[in-house]
Order: sequence, then C-alpha cells, then structure tokens
Amino acid sequence: MKVTRRSAVGGGASLALAFFLPRCEDAAFLFFEPNAYIRIAAGGSITLWIARSEMGQGVRTNLAATLADELDVDLSKVTLRQAMPGARFKGIRLRTSGSGSSSATFLPLRRAAAAAAREMLVGAAARRWNVPAESCRSESGAVVHRGSGRRLSYGELAEAAASEPVPKNARLKDPSQWRYIGKPVRRVDARAIVTGKAVYGIDARPAHALVAVIKRCPHIDGKLRSFDAAHAAAVPGVKHVVPISCGIFPGVAVVADTTWSAMKGCDALTVEWERGAQSSFDSGRHMQALAAAAAQEGFPIRRDGNVQPASDSATARLEAVYQYPLQAHAPLEPMNCAADVKPGSCEIWAPTQAPETAYQNAMKRLGLQEDSVEVHTTLSGGAFGRRLFVDYADEAVELSKAIGKTVQVIWRREDDMRSGFFHPASIEKLSAALTGGKIAAWQHKSVGSDLSMFGLASDEEKKDPEHYAKNEEPWGAFDTPYNFKDLKVDYVPVDCPVPTGSWRAVQYPSRVFARESFLDEVAHAIGQDPLQLRIDLLRPGDILVLGSQKIERTRMIRVLETARERFAWEQAFSVPHRLAGKGIALNIYSADSYMVQIAEVSVSADSGDLKIHRIACAFDCGLPINPTGLQGQVESGITWGLSATLHGKIDFRNGTAQQSGYHDFRVIRMNEMPLIETYIVPSDAAPGGFGEHPVAPVAPAVANAIFAATGQRLRELPLSLA
Amino acid sequence: MPLLWVLRDVLGLKGAKYGCGIGICGARTILEGHTAVRSCQIPLAEASQKAYTTIEGLSPAGDHPCQRAWIEEDVAQCGYCQPGMILTAAALLAHSPNPTDAEIDKAMSGSVCRCGTYNRMRRAIHRAAEGSRR
Repeated sequence: MKVTRRSAVGGGASLALAFFLPRCEDAAFLFFEPNAYIRIAAGGSITLWIARSEMGQGVRTNLAATLADELDVDLSKVTLRQAMPGARFKGIRLRTSGSGSSSATFLPLRRAAAAAAREMLVGAAARRWNVPAESCRSESGAVVHRGSGRRLSYGELAEAAASEPVPKNARLKDPSQWRYIGKPVRRVDARAIVTGKAVYGIDARPAHALVAVIKRCPHIDGKLRSFDAAHAAAVPGVKHVVPISCGIFPGVAVVADTTWSAMKGCDALTVEWERGAQSSFDSGRHMQALAAAAAQEGFPIRRDGNVQPASDSATARLEAVYQYPLQAHAPLEPMNCAADVKPGSCEIWAPTQAPETAYQNAMKRLGLQEDSVEVHTTLSGGAFGRRLFVDYADEAVELSKAIGKTVQVIWRREDDMRSGFFHPASIEKLSAALTGGKIAAWQHKSVGSDLSMFGLASDEEKKDPEHYAKNEEPWGAFDTPYNFKDLKVDYVPVDCPVPTGSWRAVQYPSRVFARESFLDEVAHAIGQDPLQLRIDLLRPGDILVLGSQKIERTRMIRVLETARERFAWEQAFSVPHRLAGKGIALNIYSADSYMVQIAEVSVSADSGDLKIHRIACAFDCGLPINPTGLQGQVESGITWGLSATLHGKIDFRNGTAQQSGYHDFRVIRMNEMPLIETYIVPSDAAPGGFGEHPVAPVAPAVANAIFAATGQRLRELPLSLA
Repeated sequence: MPLLWVLRDVLGLKGAKYGCGIGICGARTILEGHTAVRSCQIPLAEASQKAYTTIEGLSPAGDHPCQRAWIEEDVAQCGYCQPGMILTAAALLAHSPNPTDAEIDKAMSGSVCRCGTYNRMRRAIHRAAEGSRR
C-alpha cells in the first residue's frame, strides 16, 4: 500500500498535523488520518495512538475518553495503539513526566486532533449532500443532516474527509455535550489486567530471546577489575558471560536460555571490583554534612521584603530542622528491557517513561539512521520517575550488540533497590520571627543535592547566584504560597556521589514536609488554628506570580474552606483509650493544582503504636477530566507518601545501599491502609498536573496529627515515635 | 527451577509476575486447589502431581466474581500486582465466603501494591462476596 503525504499544516501547539491518504483499491485499507494520532478507517474503526506511557496513571483511558467525546464516537469503538518514537511521531513528545500525561495532552488532543477531524467529517458529508455544513452535525460515529435526517457513518466519509481543508481553529464541543469528560470513566484496559493478559515489559520478551541477569558493582564509584566466568558458564543454560559498562552501575551480564539459569549463573559468577574515591560513602555521614552545610549562605531563591528588620525586632523566634532520607522507587515490576540489534537496525521492548531517549541512545550507540530503531513502549508495572531514565534499555542494546542475539535484561529485585538511582536526602532549616502573636518573618534554608541523573549544574552555571531561582527550584520552597511579608528562601546544594533523580513528586516531598510541619509549629506557638492560619496567610487571595508560575491564592483558600466544612475540621477526633488528633497540610503543584490533606491518627499511650485512621483530601485540579481516575491517584499518591512517612529509607554503608527488597524497604500494605476520602472542588480552570501531587502533603499532615495527639514533634522521616 | 519461571519462561504463561523472587511481594501468587501459594518458592520437583491454577485459568471467560468486581470497582492502576491479588482474594473467598475486614487484611497483606489500590481491592472483595452469595 502506497501512502502519500497530501499536506501538512500547523496548528495545535504540540501536534504535528499531517495528512496521509492511501491510494489503494481495497476499501478495507482505506483510511483517513487527520494527524499522527487518529485513524478513521473506511470500515468504521477508530484508532487512537497514545503518545504517553501507561504506568498506572490511567492516561490511556483519559485520552481515549477525550477523543471519544470530541470526535463524537462511542468509547467502546476506540482502539488504542502505542505511539513509537520516530517516523509517525517524529518531533512529537512521547516522554511521560511532570504529572502532565493527561492534563497537558487534553486540549491539544481535543482541538487539533479530535475536533478538527470531526469538522472535516462533517464538511465531507455536507459536500456530499450539497448542503451547508452548519445544517449537519455529528452524532456518535456518524454525520446527520438536520433537515432531511440523512446519515453517513464516519467510515463511509473517511475517504472524502481526507480531501477537506484542515480547520485552523476547530470548534470544540460545548462541555454540556460531553458524555465522558468530567464523568467517572473506568479503566479501558481493566479486562486485560484482571485476566493476566496485559503485557508489561517483562512479558514482552520475543520468543527466541535469551535472558540476561547482571551482577552489578555493589558499591558506588566502582569499576570492574576482573571476573572469572568459569562457574557461571558451567550452569546449565548459560550461554554468555559478558561485561557491561553503560548502566548506572557497571556489571557483568550472564546470558542464559531462562531467567532462572541466568540468575543461578549470576550467583556463581566471581567478580572483583575496584573501589573509587567515593566508594566508602556513608549516608549517616552525608546527613551530618548536610546539617553542617546549613551554616552556608547558599543560593538566594526567594526574597519577599526584607527579613532582617522584622527578625531584629521580633519578640520571639522559632527554629527547627527537618530531615528527609534517601529513598528508592521500588516499582513492583523490576527494570527490564529486551533488544534485538541487527546489522542496520534495532528493535527495543521497554517499560519506559522516555521511549524517545531509548530511541536516540540506540541510534547513537549503534550508529544507526533515523527510523532504523523501533521502540515498543509496553505497559509499566509502576514507574514513579524511575523509568524516566533508560539505563536498562541502554544495557539491553549494548548486550544484544555484544552477543549478536536478541536478549532481555531483567533486573533482580535487589538490583532494582540498590543499583538504580535514588531520591536525594535533604535537610530543611526553618525559622520564624514572631511579634505580637503574628509571623513577622519566615526563613527557609533547603540543603540538598541536585539530581545527578539530569546532569549537574556546571561550575559556570553555579557562578550565577540566580541559577536555582531561575529554574524555580527547589519546588515547595521556591513556590512557598504564603503571604509572609518578609520571606527569605535559600538553597545550599551539597554534592552527593549516589546517583539521584526523579522520584514521585521529585523536589516537593522534603520541602513540603518541612514547610507544612513548621507552619503547624508556629500555629501552635502563637495559639492559632492551623487551617485558619493558612487561610490568613493566603489573604488577600491575590495571584502570586513567581517566574513562570501564577499561584491563585483564592483557589487554595476555597479548597481550605471546603475541607474545613466537608471534613469537619473543627470537630475533635477521638479514639477510646488512645491519644488521638488530626493534622493538616497543603500543597500547590506547579501553580495549577491545589490540595489540602487532613490526617486523623491515634497513638497507644502504652505501646506508642501508631494508627492512621483516615486521610481526607480536597483539591482543585482544574477541570477533573476523569473523577474516578483522580480519586485513584489520590489513593495512590497518599499510599506512596505514607510508605515514605512511616517506613521508607535507604541507608548507604561503605558505598552500598543496605536495603535490598520489600522486607527491609517496607511499603504500606493492606493492613496499614487508612480510609481515604476525597472531595473534588469543582473547577473549570485548565486541567492541572496530578499524579504526583498527593504525595507531598501526607507526611506533614500525619506528623502534625501526631503532634496534636501526643505533643511529640517529629521532624525526621520515616517518623518514629519516642 | 521454581514454578514461577517454569510458568513464565517454559510454558509462556505470564500472568504470574516476578516481583522479588523471595516470596514477600505476592506478584507470583497462584492457586493450589483453593489455596494461594508462592510460585517463586515452589521447586518444580515439589509441584509434580499437583494441580495449580494461574490467573489465565481462574475462569474461562475472565468473569470470576473477583475479576468482575475488580473491573466494577475500577481497582487496577499499573495492574502488575493484580493477578496475584485477585488469586489471593479468590482463595480467601473460597475459604471464607463473607470475609470481615480483618480477614481481608490478613489474607491480602502478604502482597504489595506499590500504586496503593488497597481500598478499592477491599471494596472489590466485599462486592465479589456479595455477588457470589446472590
């Protein structure tokens, strides 16, 4: 089948619009493709290419529902395909990050893809009937002429629609006509998941592929000195033992015909590693170094007013230091990737958030041309920022090239825990000057480490005192939403030799933990209600412009007022025979999503055993595209945050991560799960990012509730009661 | 070779997942009769003469009460743990057709869902229990 490009037009910011009209006699193969995302076949089928990775956030469902509404077709009629880097999606972002997979795609998909396609289909029908387009309308997969009731299906119109002019500014449907958007839509892939048919990366191994398990350098800053393959090679099924260097940690790969043989071979392998200058890294000493660095001036991040006069004349002063440890991602599906490198081509199957990086890296590594690399993005068994980097894909490509065979690299759980990258530790030092029962000045010094996986700031960049402020970092400190007349925020970066990178909510969790906990300390010190104090500090409800962000304080106030009423904030929380209390915390994600959480906890007076009873969450995230999906993300983000609040921590001793699995890096399970109540504050603002948002407020809400219950102020995660 | 890898690598049944390999995450759960077992901890030799059910065989049409309830409650997020969770829940319901929350906690807490779908799973189990009684 010959496909020719008819025309290409601009429009729809992030969408490349192009026409493809196949010249083919067989009607079954005729289709209309108004752009890279949509295909309407003459046979009537509707295909949507999903240009983001599904990792549990429900993007496939949300985008399918968006298309169904704006194109005016039944959701059940939409078939989904996964977008691949290159060719069809050249220049189109496929990367899934920043909580924007649904929110950032929502409007462009509606306008440029779905609405334009619908208008062209209507135009084609009007032309066929020789009537004005205004007298025709779409109706669930067909175009109907109002006057005569004539009707043509999209399939019947597909070929003719391809000749219609592309509307520059396609008219969007009125929200009152939406069948799916704004209403709860259940996951479109649920049946595949519950029957075990859903294909994750680990399931996508080509039939003839070998399996590799890699023995990795156990400590940071190490190098391979030597290895003895004899015992590994003697394990039945083992085919190759090959050193591999492109991952985050160097290693030696044992390639076998089954995963088990590869694992056994790995166990039998003897490797000697060379230690580097950083190989004795100790996370306890690192925390001390962070604490010491709090004495440094650091980089100025925010200056509202001048804290000096208010501090000098203050009648009281409050100061506290908060700690956040290193964290691992621990997604349930360990890192993995399959690659098939052939002369002149390469095919990759990866559960990844960044298929275009895998594509570019493979091209570079193998010296291949554009479009000679194919990356199949599979479902991800959890991603959480870990799969934004593609070291596992690089490894599979390096290995497949080295052995000249198709191979799937599978990380063992302990490798996944120890040999990837981590959420960096930080120290947050806060102080408040108090005068006459009011906050006169607020200072926040954040001491942490830049995310090395994104590339560290150069010495040149660091000569610019505004470097971090220009990047609007650190999140949660830079965008402190409160109207402290005099505010000073600084950041002290401290080198961390452990690889660090994106972890769900990235820079927010540690800063929001400190900011919201300390505000609670201040509220208690000046005898104010912590919820009302927040409202007061957001007055006059103006718009706070910070760099690229416009924080709408009224939206935050409205969420707080809603939560106060709906979750009965002012009503005391009590549990018979236990110390009980509630705590509150809020956060604003990238100025477009506003959230408050209220935790209710109790503590046994005898044993100190802590129970989290309920976390109530109210939010305004703009238009709620899919309420059930959002509620799911609240439950998910809160569970993630709770795992870090109560258990999560990675310790390094002698350069090696001490935790290796779910037994020593505990995560929340069913028996620890609190009730979660959500309330979506109605909003018609543009949809805001959401998947990461619920993570950050959990820890301070719980710590504040523990204080209310017990009078104990916990400033270090994971929380540990005395 | 543990049963998990026999299923996945030899038989091509990929519904049972690898999560930790040491029996503490639950992703590899299968049923022996009506009991949930850890396929990553069962050597092939021990499995001989025994009958196991994987997610692929839980119901021919994918409509076991748990599977239906899971869809109705919109439980899954990434979904990776869900086959193991569903089989664990099916075993629970086989032994205790109307489980209390405490029984659900006890049965399900051997498994990890990193996405945090626990509350919806709990609702789905109650729903499946109701559905089975009708």
